[in-house]
Amino acid sequence: MPPGSLALLAQGAAVSLLLAAVAIVGGTLLAVLLAALAFSRFAVVRAAYRVYVYVVRGTPLLVLALLVFYAMPALDLRTGPYIAGTLVLIVYTGALLAEVFRGGVLAIPRPQWESARSLGLPPLAMFRKIVAPLVTRYTLPPYVNVCVMTVKASSVLSIISVWELTLAAREIIERTFAVFTILGLAAAFYFVMCFGIDRLGRLFERHLALKGFAGERA
Amino acid sequence: MIVVRGLQKSFGTARVLRGIDLDIADGEVVALIGRSGCGKTTLLRCINFLEEYETGEIRLDGEDLWYRATPDGVRRRVSEVEARRMRQQMGIVFQQYNLFPHMTVLDNVLLGPRFAQRVSTAEAEALGRRLLARVGLEAKMSAYPAQLSGGQQQRVAIARALAMRPKVLLLDEITSALDPELVGEVEDVIRSLLSDRIMMVLVTHALGFAREVAHRIAYLAEGAIVELGSPADILDRPKDPGLKEFLRRVR
Repeated sequence: MPPGSLALLAQGAAVSLLLAAVAIVGGTLLAVLLAALAFSRFAVVRAAYRVYVYVVRGTPLLVLALLVFYAMPALDLRTGPYIAGTLVLIVYTGALLAEVFRGGVLAIPRPQWESARSLGLPPLAMFRKIVAPLVTRYTLPPYVNVCVMTVKASSVLSIISVWELTLAAREIIERTFAVFTILGLAAAFYFVMCFGIDRLGRLFERHLALKGFAGERA
Repeated sequence: MIVVRGLQKSFGTARVLRGIDLDIADGEVVALIGRSGCGKTTLLRCINFLEEYETGEIRLDGEDLWYRATPDGVRRRVSEVEARRMRQQMGIVFQQYNLFPHMTVLDNVLLGPRFAQRVSTAEAEALGRRLLARVGLEAKMSAYPAQLSGGQQQRVAIARALAMRPKVLLLDEITSALDPELVGEVEDVIRSLLSDRIMMVLVTHALGFAREVAHRIAYLAEGAIVELGSPADILDRPKDPGLKEFLRRVR
């Protein structure tokens, strides 16, 4: 193995993880807002939600990244590739997670809504005490799915010169031609990160499992 | 006191309620009976505004519920804020208990007082404990709904409804989903409430229980109250042929 390459890859992995973490946090917040729009009483708002999801989800991340990267200077927004790349990831993750959350809200049984309504719970309490806890439990597996995908999707940002794991690997390969060793190592780093997220998800699942249901042990 | 006047409700082209008039006095227990699809559950749900209705009025202690007429005569539903305040004067218990599965028994009972009525945590907890003791489930306070039997869950649901200190309790076939041996414990709780003189409207198929607890029984058919009277009048001296037929089938 070329000397020093492991340290470089580790640094790249740290950047990838950071990008993914920011995208997941930002994307989750964005998705909560978006999912709320999906249930708006105004048809225009619901339509706007659908347009957002269709457009973002229906465009390759690579194309989105290039678009934002080239469009931003044209719009006279002087941001570097890191800001642009992070924004793209947030926008993308947000669209996917919004659909995950929307599905979770749809999964809340009607009687639960009626119970909450008949108590006269105000909207914020309804969200905090009923909707959020139930949707969190319903959507944890697909949520983790999107998180894992986000880690891997961050590799696309290497195209717009965001220095992260994939770009680090490509640089080392150009210098040393140790293609399979370095790509193998990079893949291993991605795997470890994704595996970690999956374990974390499992931990939450077990912690949040509804007591007294079969899912407690699933 | 509850006053229902000219209540009409349709689901699409199907008219489920065709002009219901019903008065419920303070402390009175009224049972709604009739074959399934007669509109008795819909009537109960309209009273709690879980269903909208096209015409008619529902008043609680003189206050018009759910709809207001604007000065130019247009009928509009009250604001969400007002609807919430009105709902807090009623407690409803459903056939399938509908407890919140992610909360302990105590939290289920506390939720309304704590977050809808803004009672302090300490006060709400004291109230919750007292009500759970009353339905005989103080020991299950920290259990989760799915760890309880159906009868126990239904008793929690009654405690949850009572926690709002409602003027009226709406009971929607609350023993229909229970195993026969669990029916008694839920009925006992309702019996114990009679001394509180809280208004109750119960939709039920348990005619023996209705005879025992109700002051009056209303027999509904095809969305209308066909016969209304004392339990003895309705169950022992029915006049309407449909009611006679219904009683023959149920017994």
